[in-house]
This record gives sequence, C-alpha cells and structure tokens, in this order.
Amino acid sequence: MSWLALVANRLFWFVPTLLGLLTIVFILSRVVPVDPAVLMAGENASAEQAQRIREQFGLDQPLIAQFVDYLHDTIRGDLGRSLYTQQPILTDLAARLPATLELAFAASLVALLIGVTLGILAGLHRDTLLDHVLGIATISCMAVAPFWMAMEFQSLFSMDLGWLPLSGRVQGFPPAQVTGFIFLDALITADAGALWSALQHILLPTLTLALPAAATMARFTRNGVIAAMSSPSVDYQMAMGLPRRVIIWKYVLRMAIMATVTQFGLTFAILLTGVVVVETIFDWPGLGSYAINSILQSDYNAVMGFTLCTGVMLITVNLLVDILQAAIDPRGSA
Amino acid sequence: MKALAKRFARDRIAVTGLAILGLLALAAILAPVLAPYPEDVATFHIERRLLPPSAEALMGTDRMGGDIFSRLLFGARATLTLTTVAVGAALLIGVPIGLIAGYYRNWASDALMRVSDVFLAVPQIVMAIAIGQTLGSSAENVILALSLTYWPFWARLVFAETRSMRNEIFVESAVALGASAWRVMVLHILPNIASAIIVRTAIGMGATMLTAATLGFLGLGVPPPAPEWGRMIAESRQYLPDAWWYSLAPGAAIFLTVLGFNLLGDGLRDILNARIRRRR
Amino acid sequence: MPALLDIAGLSVGFRTENGLAQVLDKVGLTIEPGEVVGLVGESGCGKSTLARAILGTLPKDRVQAPGGRITLDGVDMLADHGAARALRGTAVTFVPQNPFASFNPLFRVGTQIADLMRGRADHDAVVAMLDAVHLPQPRAILPKYPHQLSGGQRQRLMIALALLPRPRLIVADEPTTALDVTIQAQILGLLRRLALERGVAVLFTTHDLGAAWDICDRVMVMYAGQVAEVAQRETFFGGPRHPYARMLLASLPEPGREAAAIPGDLPDPLAPPPGCRFNPRCPRSTAICTHGAPPLAEVGTGHAVACHHPWPANG
Repeated sequence: MSWLALVANRLFWFVPTLLGLLTIVFILSRVVPVDPAVLMAGENASAEQAQRIREQFGLDQPLIAQFVDYLHDTIRGDLGRSLYTQQPILTDLAARLPATLELAFAASLVALLIGVTLGILAGLHRDTLLDHVLGIATISCMAVAPFWMAMEFQSLFSMDLGWLPLSGRVQGFPPAQVTGFIFLDALITADAGALWSALQHILLPTLTLALPAAATMARFTRNGVIAAMSSPSVDYQMAMGLPRRVIIWKYVLRMAIMATVTQFGLTFAILLTGVVVVETIFDWPGLGSYAINSILQSDYNAVMGFTLCTGVMLITVNLLVDILQAAIDPRGSA
Repeated sequence: MKALAKRFARDRIAVTGLAILGLLALAAILAPVLAPYPEDVATFHIERRLLPPSAEALMGTDRMGGDIFSRLLFGARATLTLTTVAVGAALLIGVPIGLIAGYYRNWASDALMRVSDVFLAVPQIVMAIAIGQTLGSSAENVILALSLTYWPFWARLVFAETRSMRNEIFVESAVALGASAWRVMVLHILPNIASAIIVRTAIGMGATMLTAATLGFLGLGVPPPAPEWGRMIAESRQYLPDAWWYSLAPGAAIFLTVLGFNLLGDGLRDILNARIRRRR
Repeated sequence: MPALLDIAGLSVGFRTENGLAQVLDKVGLTIEPGEVVGLVGESGCGKSTLARAILGTLPKDRVQAPGGRITLDGVDMLADHGAARALRGTAVTFVPQNPFASFNPLFRVGTQIADLMRGRADHDAVVAMLDAVHLPQPRAILPKYPHQLSGGQRQRLMIALALLPRPRLIVADEPTTALDVTIQAQILGLLRRLALERGVAVLFTTHDLGAAWDICDRVMVMYAGQVAEVAQRETFFGGPRHPYARMLLASLPEPGREAAAIPGDLPDPLAPPPGCRFNPRCPRSTAICTHGAPPLAEVGTGHAVACHHPWPANG
C-alpha cells in the first residue's frame, strides 16, 4: 500500500491500542488486594477516614464509572498522585523522562554501531573463525542476565579498578537546567567539567544496556547480509562482472541495513526491558528506578503510570519505525 | 524421525545445548542427593556467613551462612519448574487462540489479535512487574505474570503462520472435502507450523527464565527463604566486591541455563529449517 | 577460425551433506562466433551448472575443483580467475532466468544500468539499446524502480544489458521460463534477431525443445550431466540418433499422435548409474553401456552422438 495509506492505517490503530493499554492498566490497578483507600489513608486511619477517602476519590462508584473517570483523568494528564513524593505522577514522570531517554538514546546508538558493524563482518565472512567467534559472543551476550552483568561491571570497573564512577548521572552539581538532558545542558552552558563527568557516568550503564541489544542487532544484520549475498540480484551482478567491492558496499549493504531498520522496534523493546534494572543498579534517576522505588513503596498508582508511559513510548517508537521503513523502501511497505 | 535424530546428533550446537540442559535438569532432580547441605534451604548458620569457596563449601556461603552450592541446586528446581509451567501455560493459551483466529477470517479474529497487540505494546518485564506487584510475590503469581504476558506472543506467531497456511492448497482441499474446522486446524495446519513453535519455545524458555530471574532480583519472585537465583544475586549486591563468589555462582548458573536453551533453539532451527527446505 | 568457446572434458562436482554430487561428467562443447546454440535438457541435467561454469560463477565453497578446460576467447575461465573476471560483463554477458528478482529492489534502474556498464556504454547508447528491445519511452524507464516494470519489460531490459557491452557471447539461462507463454516467443525472437545483427554468439539453455527449434542454429542435448547429442537444427529435428534425444522429441505433443512420456526417473546425482547415465531407462542398452560412458563421436558434419547403440541415420 502507498506510504500515505500506511501512515494513515498506523495512526488509525494508535488510539485503540492506547485505549486497550489503558484498560489493562486500569484493571490491574483495581485488582489490588489491599484496599487503596486504606492505603492512602495510612496505617492508623480509622474506618471513617478510609470511607471519606473512598468517596473523595470515587472508589465507591461502580467499576465502569470509575473507568470513565480514569480515562477522563488520564486524557487531562492527571495520573493520580504519588504516595511517596506527594507530587502528581505526571510531574514525576516528566522529570524522570530525560534521564531515561538519554540513556536509551546512547544505548541505541552504541547497539546500532557495534551490532550492525559486527553483523556485516560476520555475514561477509560467513563460516570463518571470525564468524564463529562472533556467533558465540552474541549468543553469550543474549544469555547473560542484564542485572547481573550490570552488577559485575559495576563491581569490576567501579569498585575494584576505580576507573569509572559508581552511580548517578554526574558528579557534584549538574549544569543549569535548560532541557533536562545533561549533555545538551552542559553544551549549552559550556560546562566542560559537567560534560566530562556526565560522559564517565553514562559509560557503564550504556554498555550494560547496549550489549544484549547489540547482540540481537548483530544476528539480524548477519542474516540480512547472508540473505542479500545469496539473492538473485547479487548473483546476476556477479555474473555480469560487477566488481565485488561495488556489489557488497553499495548493494548488499543497503539491503542488509533495510532489514536491520525493520528490527529496530524489537531492539528498542529490548532496551526498555533492560532499562528498569540498569537504572536501579546504577542509581540512574530515570523512569526505571522510579518504578522500582514505587514498587518498594507499594505506590500502585506510580507503577501504573510508569507502565502506561513505557507502553506509550514503545507504541510510538514502533509507529515511527514503520513509517520510516515505508518511507525509505521504494517498494512502499514491502 | 530417525533421520531427524541423526541430523540432530551431528549438529554440535544443538547437542551442546541439550547436554547443558540435561546436566542442569539432572542437577535439579537430584538436588536432595547432590547438595552437601540440603538443610540450608531453610536453616541458617550465622557463624558460617560469607565464607569464600573452600572444600567444605564449594561456592562459598551466603549472608545467612547457607551453602551457596546447595542453594543453587535447589534454586535450579524452582527456576526450571517455574519457567516450564509458565511457558507451557502461555503455549496452551496462545497457540489455540492463534490457530482459531488465523483459521477464521472475521472481525472476531482481528479483534483478538488487536488485544494481543496491546499486551505486546508493553515490554514483558514491565507488565510482569505491574502484575507481580499488584498480586504480591509468590511462585504462583510469578507463573501467572509470566504466562499472562507471554501468551500474546504465541497467539500472534501462530496467527500469522496459520493465516499464510490457510491459503495453501492442501488446506483448501481438506476443507472442500468436508473436514471439520478442528480436523483442519489440528491435523493439517498444526503439524506444519510445529517446527516454528518448537524452535521459538526453546529460545522462549531462555527469555522467560531471564524475566523470572529479573522478577526475583526485584523482590517480586519466590519469597525467602526459598532459594531463587535472581534473588540470591540481589542479596549479594551489598557484599560486593569482596564476596565475589556470592554473585558469581547464581549469575553463572543463569547464564549457563539460558545459553543451553539458546544453543538448543539455534541448533533446532538449523535442523528443522533444512528439513523444510528439502521437503519443498 | 578458432572457436569462440571451447569446453573439453568438463567435470563438476558439488559437495553436499550427503556426499559428492557429480553434476557434470566430461562435458564438451564448442561454439563458433555468431552462432546460436541451444542447450536442451530436463531440470537437473546440469545445464545451469554449465552456464555458471562458463561465466566462472560456480559457488566456490561448495564446488570441488572442476576437471577439464573452458576456453573463452583464448582465456582459460577455470584457471585464470583474474582474466575470467575481466571478461564477465564485457566479452561474455548473462541473461538470467528470473527477471523479477535479478534487479536490486532498492535502487533505480538507471543507477543499476550505469553500474553494470562501468563506462562501456554512455547514456545515448543505453537509450538506443532500450529502444532496440522495444521498451516504450526508454528515457522514462531509467528513473524508475524495478518493481514498477512488468516481467516482460524487465526481461527486455536484461537482453538490452546483455547486448550493451558489445560482448562476443551471451549466456542465457532459461530466459523465458518465468515469463508468460504469450510473450516467450517474442522475447526469444528479439534475442536472436538482435544477436545476429551484432554478430554475437548465444548459448541458450532450456527444457523446451520447441524454443530450441524456434531460434537455434545448433542443438545440444544433455542428460544427467552428460552430453547426449549435438547437431545442426535441421539434422537434429529431422531424426536424432541418441535414444534419449529421440524419446525427448517423441514426448512433444503433435497433432495426430499421443505425447509419449519417457518411462523411469532421473538418476540421483549422488549415485549415478555407471557408464552411460541413461542406460537404466534406455530401450537399447546392453552390458557395454554400464562399463564406460560412450565418447562423443562424430557421425556426420557437425553431428556428434555419445552412444554405444545410436539409432541409425533416418531410422
């Protein structure tokens, strides 16, 4: 189908998918074994206080009415109030988002660079020692528990060797807040010290997050290269004497990268999966550590807000990837 | 079947994977016999806490003085059982749904797949955390969380394969000959998509195990004092880098198990794909 | 005048997981400049492998060192890889079986043509050739993507690309099999006419005897990796001498006669029958046929048969 039709189709389904997500989150939030009213009122609250809270928050309404209220609130941006910070959850999420985005972006970049490069190398030198070694390396990276890898890296590079900082985003005071993205802020305010510190701090978390994603990317790219190399078009080009150099670096590369772009949605999902534990271990003040803290505080609303946020991010990224892929493939949506 | 087994034996990757898993299963089953300190699953010996590996404690002791090696073996039971049940449940729910939705071409099928898509819109671990936190930590809830977040993947996969098979001649002729929907789905379509399912199951076991371990790490898994690899790693955190053995043992155990599943899956894919290619 | 293409004693084996498949067994063939030779045989007889061997694009990882010799325009295509590479796309070109998949879908047609020609044909020459193959609005085709052209258009394009570098030989591997029956004859006729105009020789493989009759000067029949018979067109279709060739001709449907299928199955390339590979299915085979493959022997001008008991002439 044409590019416009594809975009329209994806956008059309964006809303219902979001709605479905909201429904699931709502159901989960109401399946709580502990009475939310009692939780909000506090441990030593009386029955009257709990009842007052129940009425105040509409928790005694029928479920459908509650759902409609919930939708209404969510669209207006009211995700409830965090039990822990006493702030609106949306505010909390907005404050934490830049840190996670920074990390996710850095990890995506690293994963793409390492993964695609190694995948191409492995694909071009199929069945050689290099290919086998890379195969073992990738399959091992995918078998390691991300939180364990994070811990061991931290233990080795921070605690034992002292090469890199233990946790956090930056040493001392962060640069003046302009965008919330430390790297951008440091560049804007020309704060070299902060920039360097931020770089050191982001290294380990990025590496830990990127490695499993890089391994997956490498496998996909390798398969893409191999498929391209054995395609009839490459066969024809070789028969017609096109130099191998041109065939590989112009034609095969393009086909392989196309295949990789298609898989970026999957890669991002892997990154989001890892972000929760990696942020926890490195005390990275992003959405992931917010979620974990909320769990420990039994802050149900905050966890639901986090789930919603993550879902929206993933759906959006998938949407963008689909649109991008359709845009750069001359066949439309192949 | 014999030819398949022969091919399997020649594929070193698959055999290695199977060997690892076999050893692990054996270790799990024989845990009570193999463990030098089987009572350490529940009892504590504070005086023996945080000892490095030695002849008495092959992998050292943990913060409660328990022998890590013994707890590891029993943890294998918990982990393997949990993962198997969760993946099994996800298959039992997801595969039939995918088959039915793929076979019938109506609004209900599309709606069902949209529901799956919604579940797949959130990373599995996030949804599992949300569910686990809501319901509380126990083995049953972990299984519930894992299978609830995994079945949509199977439904989607089987749906896509069934839909493409639906147009094949052998299916159309079976339908024309009057075969009931059930017969077509189970006797005709299912065997042909079986290899895809088998390969993904092997790899899925590994992925589910990692998710289960992550839940355990976050405190949402099997509650203490029962040994669970993920939680053991979480416990070890505050004693690093000195008590290096404390995190290394369970971490390596997880790594080996998932590696085993991945190798098996890879090997199976090579074998079954070759078979499909030759048949075509 | 020395032959343009001279193949002698070519044997090619492929390594498979079940053993070595002898795909070509001591194949010999000569092609003179400017002639159109048809290589006829069923699927699996080795004709595509032969085409690849001539071009020098056998898969190096699976093929065992080929025996025999292929000399194209004085170059040893098997031994001298550098010189062979120089000939590909210049002195010898290729028309593939599958026009649908032979273009890279991500690049414009014009870009791919320019890359393939490597400076041997300028823009005007390209447009002129596209016109010669009857492609409508040649200039409009260049900025298009391959999926925007029909199968027939793409195959015409392939023929144009095969002729543009002014080659001496075109190797066409089943060029019309993937096309609609209605345009097969058109494409073949186009190929022959344009090749003859330019004095280009064509080696054209097919499983369709009718196509061979339509456009070839000479016909060579192969069976299971061995050459059965080589003859001028009229001689061959007048009465082939090799039992397989004769049965092949009889299997063509004709008005007033039933099409007669050849009984039996193709041999397994992993375990081919000893001697002449057709002997298990041949009505004229005797003990000597299993002892050694019969040599390709001249039985008339330009007519050679590899058989211990060929049918008599005009028999």
